[in-house]
Amino acid sequence: MGSSYDEVKNALDVPSEFVFIILLPMLAFPLILYLGMKFNGQKFWKENLKEGGLVALPVMAASLVLSLVLIRRFINETSVSDTSTVFSWANFAWFTEGATTEISLYSLNFGLYVDHVTVMLLFVASFLCLLINIFSIGYMNTDEVNDNKNHRFYAEFVLFCSGMLGMVLSDSFLWLFIFWELMGLCSYLLIGFYYDKPSAAYAAKKAFLTTRVGDVFLVIGLAMLWNLFQPYASGGDALAFATVFDHSNLQMLADAGKQGALQLALGFMFIGAVGKSAQFPLHVWLPDAMEGPTPVSALIHAATMVNAGLYLVARMFPIFGDSAMMGEFSDLAFIIALVGGITACMAALIAFVQMDLKKVLAYSTMSQLAYIFTGLGAALWLANSLDWGEYPNKGIVVVAFGAALFHLFNHAMAKGMLFMASGSVIHEMHHAHHDLHHHHHDDDHHDDHGDDHHDDHFDAQSMANMGGLASRLPITATAMFVGSASIIGIPLIGGFWSKEGIIANTWRVAVEHDPRFYIPAFLVLITAGMTGFYMSRMWFMTFAGKPKTEVAEKVHEQTPWIPIPLLVLIPMSLAGIVFASLKSTYFLGYKGYKLGEDGLLEGFLYEMDHIFVNPGTNYLLVLTYIAIFLSMVLGPCAAMALHGGRLDEGQKAKPWMQWAVTLSGKLNDKYSFAGWAEKMSESSFGEALRQRLYFDKYYDMAMMKIVAGFSNLSASFDKNVVDGFAIKTIIEKGGQDSSRIIRSITTGSARDYIMMVAVGTLAIAILLWGVN
Amino acid sequence: MLVSGLSAILFVMGLWGAFTRKNAIIVLMCLELMLNAANLQFVAAGVYHGDTAGWIYTVFAIAIAAAEVAIGLAILLSVFNQHETIRLDDINLLRN
Amino acid sequence: MLDDFDVITLILLLFPFLMSIVMLTITGMVSESSRRKLAPVWRMVSLGVSMALFIVASMMFTGQIGGVDWTGIGFNEYEFLYQYEWISSLGITWQVGLDALSFPMVWLTTFLLPVTIIATWDEKKGAVYHPLILLMGATLLGVFVSLDLFMFYIFWELTLIPMFFLILKWGGKDRKYASQKFFIYTFTASVIMLLGLITMYFSMPSNTEIAMDNAGEYTGRTFDLLEITSIAQSVNAGGIWLENLHLIIFAMLMIGFLVKLPAAPFHTWLPDAHVQAPTGGSMLLAGVMLKMGAYGMFRIPATLFPHALEHFQFILMLFGFVSLVYGAIVCLGQTNLKKMVAYSSVSHMGVILLGIASMQPIGWAAALFMMFAHGIISPMLFAVCGAFKHHYHSMEIGAMRGMAKHSPWLATSMMFGWMASLGLPLLAGFVAEFLLLIAYWHEFGWWILGPGLALAITAAYYLWSMQRTIFEGGEETQPPKEMEGKPIPDISDMEKVAMLILAGFTILFGIFPAIALDMMSDWTVTMFQTLFGGA
Repeated sequence: MGSSYDEVKNALDVPSEFVFIILLPMLAFPLILYLGMKFNGQKFWKENLKEGGLVALPVMAASLVLSLVLIRRFINETSVSDTSTVFSWANFAWFTEGATTEISLYSLNFGLYVDHVTVMLLFVASFLCLLINIFSIGYMNTDEVNDNKNHRFYAEFVLFCSGMLGMVLSDSFLWLFIFWELMGLCSYLLIGFYYDKPSAAYAAKKAFLTTRVGDVFLVIGLAMLWNLFQPYASGGDALAFATVFDHSNLQMLADAGKQGALQLALGFMFIGAVGKSAQFPLHVWLPDAMEGPTPVSALIHAATMVNAGLYLVARMFPIFGDSAMMGEFSDLAFIIALVGGITACMAALIAFVQMDLKKVLAYSTMSQLAYIFTGLGAALWLANSLDWGEYPNKGIVVVAFGAALFHLFNHAMAKGMLFMASGSVIHEMHHAHHDLHHHHHDDDHHDDHGDDHHDDHFDAQSMANMGGLASRLPITATAMFVGSASIIGIPLIGGFWSKEGIIANTWRVAVEHDPRFYIPAFLVLITAGMTGFYMSRMWFMTFAGKPKTEVAEKVHEQTPWIPIPLLVLIPMSLAGIVFASLKSTYFLGYKGYKLGEDGLLEGFLYEMDHIFVNPGTNYLLVLTYIAIFLSMVLGPCAAMALHGGRLDEGQKAKPWMQWAVTLSGKLNDKYSFAGWAEKMSESSFGEALRQRLYFDKYYDMAMMKIVAGFSNLSASFDKNVVDGFAIKTIIEKGGQDSSRIIRSITTGSARDYIMMVAVGTLAIAILLWGVN
Repeated sequence: MLVSGLSAILFVMGLWGAFTRKNAIIVLMCLELMLNAANLQFVAAGVYHGDTAGWIYTVFAIAIAAAEVAIGLAILLSVFNQHETIRLDDINLLRN
Repeated sequence: MLDDFDVITLILLLFPFLMSIVMLTITGMVSESSRRKLAPVWRMVSLGVSMALFIVASMMFTGQIGGVDWTGIGFNEYEFLYQYEWISSLGITWQVGLDALSFPMVWLTTFLLPVTIIATWDEKKGAVYHPLILLMGATLLGVFVSLDLFMFYIFWELTLIPMFFLILKWGGKDRKYASQKFFIYTFTASVIMLLGLITMYFSMPSNTEIAMDNAGEYTGRTFDLLEITSIAQSVNAGGIWLENLHLIIFAMLMIGFLVKLPAAPFHTWLPDAHVQAPTGGSMLLAGVMLKMGAYGMFRIPATLFPHALEHFQFILMLFGFVSLVYGAIVCLGQTNLKKMVAYSSVSHMGVILLGIASMQPIGWAAALFMMFAHGIISPMLFAVCGAFKHHYHSMEIGAMRGMAKHSPWLATSMMFGWMASLGLPLLAGFVAEFLLLIAYWHEFGWWILGPGLALAITAAYYLWSMQRTIFEGGEETQPPKEMEGKPIPDISDMEKVAMLILAGFTILFGIFPAIALDMMSDWTVTMFQTLFGGA
């Protein structure tokens, strides 16, 4: 068995100045709040500083620059970093019973830690934070609903960014959790940004509570983890990555026979990840979270925060991959993959029937995150069970792990862009609707409409009101087009590489090693086809065909700032092949594991070659590749036939989209499946999908009936039994009754008292006499 | 011995009066009677033992009795002002 | 200039005591009309006195007065020790001193006094209110600094008096019932504790058997805690002190402390007292007075009877477990905001009990830190409740919605307090909870699911109440009828100041818990070593 650790060349001691990546946005939070309170309503604040948007922008830019400097330094200097402690958080003592009864001192510290996973996510986070900041200035500040409230948005926005960057950079599971919760708080606040809407208030609560359930398990998992590693931490931080990932510590743990306990702790932590990344069965909060403003959906609920769960699981890779734990954690790896598979398929199904543009994207996010979980599950299984010493194994593991992380990268970029594009659509629909109905008809009431803007019956997010926008919103439509293609996995574009890797590796585990993996493998495979369908359905319903409402005819791109991030992200998504061919040490390796000088692309090519050319190949795997390809073609075609259509006369989309629109028109003319589709949607299954498979309903019912009912019962138990019976009846009434008896001998008559005194004295005298 | 018997008779008379009489002033007087019975006993015991302590106690008791009578009468006056009676049977504030 | 600062503890205790007595006496002597004029003067004087106390205590914290490094203080070592013979016939001394157990509590008391006065600055309560608050603080300080059991008991009971009057005079509708219940309930428990103390006093060896410095001339025994501790330790090193009685004495003492804490099922006085008490009273009651119970457990039974503590470990854990989980569940069923917060205190006190029961230095340190953190957070919760009542004339959850719109400051303070109380990281409460979970899993294993459930339920009731107060408030949910037409003001400037101070310290101790945790941790380590051995 080979050592799982290659020689660590030179460790990078992250200079603690880089803590400013986290600290700058954190300090901007009170600053923006204070300025906002002080200058709210003033012209300078509103026009020149965009109500804080332009205060946040340089801060996020500085964070990005610092992050890039750090990444550059990491890549140039080393393949792994040391943790560098910034400050000591808590010091405490621990008493160990046993052969050597002793008390030792421990500490929990905050420090910075950089490795390949960090580098990738650090770039994603800081880059998208900046872009979405730019987008927000366009989106939030041009909507009068938000007037004089935007400082709150930007303050919470920067606090969130600080939490995300902190989570990525922190050097221990404890601080990962601390920043994780900070993000949860900001997510709660931002979902509830329009707090006077009951639905937003409900959604915010639901999001926080659902993730909190996961967090409770996570924090218990941390307590378990601490107890496991405490004997080997020798006074250090038992939750620091440096301690937990250390081979000799893991070896000692294995020698002590505690692999099962470790798997349990990691499993508890995984439940936290399930909550945060909206996986089955804690997925219900994510679609409701779309109540927040669209930039929030883009940043938190698509591109960054929901990745936290994935990041946590990816962080466990070194434990899974350590030779000391070989073969011990295959159950947990399978559960991770299974949860991913179930969620992927379920979310894709529900996305079939969603009419709300943002909700389609939300379910798509859920489904894609689930892909990554499946990929991680497979990668972790491989890392845990394969002998690293044998030749191709290391490459296989790194490609599997790299594929999952690369999908995270692609998905964050594409989904951030998709949400921003959807925001652009919604925003322009709003404007068009506003212009159409309010400016034209009653100029007098112009001022009144600021407030009831959102209560209008017109739903600017419903795809039923859109259609034919491809020519009217060229940049947005392009962004949506590219983003959808990347999510679907159209060959050679972004997500293709990573999704192919994930599916193939899950199948590989199933076919070659562990037949349990057939379940997630099959689920993700059919999901690939469903993804093709629902993403295309969304695009064609929105952008192709004739406008379905008067409003959709009037839409045009007019808001400044919004196109900038779209234009930046379109090439990012298209250039998947470039990123995939980067040397894997740049992005997707782990601590000395790398494919020599090759990139991930070479890894994939090698793998495809291995499967198709190698005579010993299992034909199931070959079939898989064919199935992937077919589903990626069939899904979009079905969507085109059902929901496509030509644009209005005289309207023409940009050439790179026009062909798709025309094709969809042709397909739609030929096979529209109209009756069949309607029947499907009216069936009980269609209804179940619209009801989100009844999860929300039954969760709500459990919450209201069981939890609330039980707590009401407890409250009245406390009032009537603990306080009422025990205190009021027994003690109070008993006291009163006995006092009533005693009171009856106090007659109030002076002569009786004299008598009592006399009798008492006599009694004492007799007693004294008797004693003496 | 004779004096002791006399004081005992005086004390019982006072006690009897305090139990039976209804008029508060008479009850007060009965209390004085009991005190003086005790004084008599002190003096007698002092003479018998040849110890002056008994006499000294008597002087104290007389002073206290004087104060007690003053306070007692003041209370009775105040009671009469409020209730217009000093019949003990009619005064049972503690009861109500 | 002054080398010997030991007398400072005494000054810390007597200065507010005398000042409040003077103020109360003057108030009693003047006429009705001038009393009204006195009220703002007394408010100012009380603020001044309490600020002075706070500054002195803070300077002691940083070492500027006395030059004490609090992290270096071990178990049974005291700083600023001051001793004076009091009732020598019974072996009672006037002995005050500070260590890492009592000093955080003393600092907390001096911190909360000015904050309480500031938070309730605008309430018109008359001339007696502020002196009573000051008196309350003085008696609480007395409990924490006294190192003589007799003196400890006197101050323990004295704390009831100002609180009783605070509830009775300025309380809500059922204040009579609540104040008497509060008094009788805790007093009865204290009497059991007193009986325990007296049993211990008479069953310990007299000075004919052991050499004692402060033995009473008549009884031959002493109330001096330091002396008792050293006697107990010398016996405990090889055996069990008062072996035939130690379990009974321990249990009697614990009953007094458990009721004060309060642990379920002895908690029912607390919601009544809190709901009826005025804001200032609630702040001090939740902030410091409840911690007297936990403080007492560490100071007397745990110190003197470690074997009984070991013996009762599981039962104590059950008390804590029930308080924590049951308290949280009952919270969820409350409709009254203040009652909910009161039950949340029961729940959090359960955490302290679990910490004590965990029998790990870290669990004890977690309990100490929880006392401290909850002492900062819960006053904020009650200040918010007070402001809520003040503005909306109702404590019902849901009577008032959309607070974020018309009272953003109150809404923000509420959210901050609620979040701190549910254990959000980077705020003080989380530190204690996390450290506790570590020790708890080690000691009790799968019982940890109970605290886990409680954590989730805590989040649920706080978030649910926020949804129905801060959020919503669109067209269909307007302020209550009686508020209609009137402008709804946000909290006043003084209330804002109080909230900012409390929030600031919650963040400070959340990000840098080591400031307070280090000294607690060091103290619990030496305590553990002294009591149970270990290298």
